[in-house]
Amino acid sequence: MTAPLEAPADAAPETVLAGVGAKAIEGRSLGQIAWMRLRRDKVAIAGGIFILFLILVAIVGPHLVQDPTVYNANLIDPTLSAPRGPFGGISLAHPFGVEPVTGRDVLSRVVNGAQVSLLIAFLATALAVIIGVFMGVVAGFFGGWADAVIARSMDVFLAFPLLLFAIALVGVIPSSAFGLSGNSLRIGLLIFVIGFFAWPYMGRIIRGQTLSLREREFVDAARSLGARGPYVLFRELLPNLWGPILVYTTLLIPTNILFEAALSYLGVGIIPPTPSWGGMLSDAVNSGFYAIDPMYMIIPGLAIFLTVLAFNLFGDGLRDALDPRSAR
Amino acid sequence: MGVTAFGAVAALALAACSSSTSTTSGGPTPATGFNAGITHVMNPSSQKGGTLNFASSSGIPDSTDPGNTYYAQMWNLSRLYAMPLMTYKSCPGKCGGQVVPMLATAPGVISDNGLTWTYHIQPNVHFEDGTLVTSSDVKYAVERTFDRGKFPLGPGYFPALLAPQKPAYPGPYKDRSKNLMGLKAVETPNPTTIVFHLAKPFADFNYVVAIPQTAPVPPNKDTGANYQLHPISTGPYMFQSYQINKQLTMVPNPHWNPATDPNAKQLPSKIVLTFNVNPNDVDNRLLAGDIQVDLPGTGVQAAARTKILTTPSLKAQSDNPVSGFSWFFGLNTRVPPLTNIHCRMAIEYAANKTNNQTAYGGPFAGGAIASTVAPPNVVGSVAASGKKFDLYEATTKPQGDLTKAKQQLQQCGQPNGFSTGITYRSDRPKEVSAAQAMQASLARVGIKLTLHGFPTATYTSNFAGVPKYVHSHDLGIIVYGWAPDWPDGYGEFYYIVHGAAISPVGNTNLEELNDPKVNSLLDKFATTTDAALRNSYTAQIDMQVMRDAAILPNVFAKALLYRSPKLTNVYVQSYYGMYNYAVLGLK
Amino acid sequence: MIARAPAPHPVITFIVRRLIATVFLLIVVSMVTFSIFFLLPRLAGQTTYGLAAQYVGRSPTPAAVHAIERQLGLDVPLPVQYGRFLKGIVFGRHFDSGTSKAYCPPPCFGYSFKNQQPVWPMMISSVPVTVSLAIGAAILWLVGGVSIGVLSALRRGTLFDRFSMGVALAGVSLPIFFTGLIALALFSYRWPIFPNVQFVPFTQNPLLWAKNLILPWVTLAFLYAALYARLTRAGMLETMNEDYIRTARAKGLPERTVIVKHGLRAALTPIVTIFGLDIGLLLGGAVITEVTFSLHGLGQFTILAIDSQDLPEIMGVTMLAAFFIVFANLVVDILYAYVDPRVRS
Repeated sequence: MTAPLEAPADAAPETVLAGVGAKAIEGRSLGQIAWMRLRRDKVAIAGGIFILFLILVAIVGPHLVQDPTVYNANLIDPTLSAPRGPFGGISLAHPFGVEPVTGRDVLSRVVNGAQVSLLIAFLATALAVIIGVFMGVVAGFFGGWADAVIARSMDVFLAFPLLLFAIALVGVIPSSAFGLSGNSLRIGLLIFVIGFFAWPYMGRIIRGQTLSLREREFVDAARSLGARGPYVLFRELLPNLWGPILVYTTLLIPTNILFEAALSYLGVGIIPPTPSWGGMLSDAVNSGFYAIDPMYMIIPGLAIFLTVLAFNLFGDGLRDALDPRSAR
Repeated sequence: MGVTAFGAVAALALAACSSSTSTTSGGPTPATGFNAGITHVMNPSSQKGGTLNFASSSGIPDSTDPGNTYYAQMWNLSRLYAMPLMTYKSCPGKCGGQVVPMLATAPGVISDNGLTWTYHIQPNVHFEDGTLVTSSDVKYAVERTFDRGKFPLGPGYFPALLAPQKPAYPGPYKDRSKNLMGLKAVETPNPTTIVFHLAKPFADFNYVVAIPQTAPVPPNKDTGANYQLHPISTGPYMFQSYQINKQLTMVPNPHWNPATDPNAKQLPSKIVLTFNVNPNDVDNRLLAGDIQVDLPGTGVQAAARTKILTTPSLKAQSDNPVSGFSWFFGLNTRVPPLTNIHCRMAIEYAANKTNNQTAYGGPFAGGAIASTVAPPNVVGSVAASGKKFDLYEATTKPQGDLTKAKQQLQQCGQPNGFSTGITYRSDRPKEVSAAQAMQASLARVGIKLTLHGFPTATYTSNFAGVPKYVHSHDLGIIVYGWAPDWPDGYGEFYYIVHGAAISPVGNTNLEELNDPKVNSLLDKFATTTDAALRNSYTAQIDMQVMRDAAILPNVFAKALLYRSPKLTNVYVQSYYGMYNYAVLGLK
Repeated sequence: MIARAPAPHPVITFIVRRLIATVFLLIVVSMVTFSIFFLLPRLAGQTTYGLAAQYVGRSPTPAAVHAIERQLGLDVPLPVQYGRFLKGIVFGRHFDSGTSKAYCPPPCFGYSFKNQQPVWPMMISSVPVTVSLAIGAAILWLVGGVSIGVLSALRRGTLFDRFSMGVALAGVSLPIFFTGLIALALFSYRWPIFPNVQFVPFTQNPLLWAKNLILPWVTLAFLYAALYARLTRAGMLETMNEDYIRTARAKGLPERTVIVKHGLRAALTPIVTIFGLDIGLLLGGAVITEVTFSLHGLGQFTILAIDSQDLPEIMGVTMLAAFFIVFANLVVDILYAYVDPRVRS
């Protein structure tokens, strides 16, 4: 997916020096270096701020806006089913206009949709990352048959066309199953599919990283001082892995946002009337209303675009900050 | 859902004539004009040649096999390659709902107290390979409909109506009798006569044989499940190539004799149908002239609708016929608290009918707000008579009457409202909007609805049409629509309100209404041979169903159709509620 | 000295080993796919009756539903159904069409629930469309994306770099159906430069084939080109900083040789891996593009199959898509084995 990242070899952990008993030299940890470099990257910071803003909107927003399910039939022209007034019926009461046919407030639907879209993207990414990191570390660190089994199963999972599977699964599972129904089931399914089939992307990268880190000098050094397996794993390897983990997590999230939008376009996303950005975009496109009321399509489209852009910018900045060699 | 959704028309459409009482010869034919195609044959011509292009946003909804299809668009299209015993007269206006002989020479001759129907078929009709059509070919076609495993998608009238035999007739593929003529209820005493023996009198049988299932099939050329790829044609066109879900090409049938078939024409030199085209693409191609007809015939999408209605030159090239569908909400009489009629009446009063109409597309694309069930093209319906019957103020107070609704709630013992579920087809945007509109309007009197959407494919087979499921999930309101298989009261009402039609799976009497008054009126339909008397029952059934508050009518569906300027002989056939596909030509 | 038979060429052994592994992989994939589509709904509460009832049209009776169950082969236990499925792929199957017993030659993926037609021929007829779409777009995005990436890397920090990377960033941030829709709205409807986008087979009319595919090609390629431009640039930047590049320059090699022969070659390694994966995925059906442009390819076939819950079709197209992915991976691996001896061990 993106270029491989290698953790710099010069980040010697202070613990080794401290253990020697010498006066600890005031060195900078990897994290501090990265943070300093990130701070200087204005574009990435802008992306980061937007992300924080979005999260805030997703958490607090739905309580501040109108009910997204209320119909305002008086704002719709019944012959054409289109909103009265230009730009999709923008007014003080409805800053983003209203939807065709139903007259629902677009702003409140976008805000509520943020909640759903981000929830799915974050949870699905989290699932993929957790499984991926676990598998990758185990495979890279222990090697041998554990590595062989995990690598083969990664091959199996990578062989499945993810989009097809998501669509097919959603279509095949009844609308009430495993104790859940409706949107909780749908959201659960989407998270499961994405997490379950996307973990190998993360797994492969982490495995590669673990493999190369395992051979590094500081691990040898720690071992020569008597450190055992778990110590090496937790104190030496994992701290050096969080860089790539963070970067790829940040870059996986926008993929999943676009994924949910694609699923909604194909009709297997969130079930109405719960709003989701992908669902709003899909409505606008498939009903043909985008040609009459372009704002109906532009607004959720812009929301998706800006969110994905922000995550990409922040993720790029993060990666550049953590890798000294790709100086911009 | 997106892409393939639109246009899965559930059953036959019957259309109305709009306002005028004109017949086909109602004054000089205008060259153009909004709704001119409903009452006049536009661009009449006998010019041959050209390629007629159809497109559809889905594939063939069920099958091109005339014995295995149940959609209006297919029954319309199949007249190009199949000749059933009877058909609907090809003419604009009211006469388009009349059933007239096609392969037969005359309507059935009734004898034996209504139990025997005899038809004579024309002696010089040929299949596309030149073989003569005989009555055994018609009998074989009817026999095929008994194999519900191979042909499950068509109607099941013949197994239901014909005199039974023991053991039950298994269909021609398991038929061990000579020449595969094992169905005893149908006799062919000579090659031009076919005799049907019914189990019980059924006065509407002429309508039943107008279904494409009686189109002859040569037993030695039948290919079972593969017959749909190339049905042996008796109509003006025959299949040249068919790739399922992709494209169907038809060419003129050299053995078709126009003298035997006045209801069809053989004008274009090629007919091409392209399937699974993006719905917006269909409209754009239609307006650009790349295609001439949108196969499902249910009208254009919102974007094209706006363009057409706001551009006078385009509006003059469009028609807004009644499609023959009623969209309504079934109020299930067995789901508490809707078991109490007053709770149902509360729903009738409280619903905002204007919003429901808007949900379906407004007055042009949705239809006219209805206060009774049967649309105006059903013979003898309240709507056709022009008399007003509006128990719940649907036309006088379309926003709903909250005071009366609350009174009804008091009477049913739920003064603060109650909760129930509403179910709808989740891949039909109009039904989704309608369900949400109901949720909003009923909430005004405290009736709380929870939404349960299911895909069309499983709607009646697994959910709304399974009474057990409906009861256990408290689905009190069921969004549905209906178009009758033939344009009279029986066709309209039997399956949706007769107590005997309640079925454990695939149920269409979604209100589970079992009113003896309604049942007996419908039963009388079968045995009353006097057509005028029969049709007088229709209005009575309609009014009784409304008095029972079993159905909340929404709209009598209309479709906004674009009449391509390249078409000749184009007009709306009232039975199908769309353009007559059997007579089209090109300029 | 003991004479030994010459060892087989290492690449050949590698290929054979990988082929065997591929077959096993596909079997596992088929098992998992079967479980997901046939077993999982059962666990979720669906019954065979419920599944069959969807195909009985609008006048179902219990007898009709049971007849359909038998017709669709749903009346036997799942392992038997799976066994029949596998057997069909290897040996073919017989099918009762009513008037005759048809033979469906291997690989037979069964018969569609909805229209009782063999699945394999229907899929194969959709393949040319998808392949045309994928190959054409692939050439565009590979050439376009990589060259822009290289140029941006070499002109790092310039206006060209910032602008092209900005556009690339926008490209990966837009949903693809958005792009497709804009393309259609502008270049097909508004200004009829590419009207009536319909697939014309290459053998029928190569010029029209290409003309009708330009819009879908560009739409698809835009997204991937953006991705590859970013990837190539990042890869180039990393490689150009390596020691051996400095050595090559120090040796006095012309700059062009340094860039292309040493820098690009190394940077392209991850690109090739990803390209293999992407092509493999696309051959299984560029679902969204096909749907937007009404192209009757594998992607659209999949959507239709899923809409009607046509399990044999779903199984068939998933297996075909998985096969393409696995095959693409295999090809990439073999290329690497040929190029890099370390991989063969």
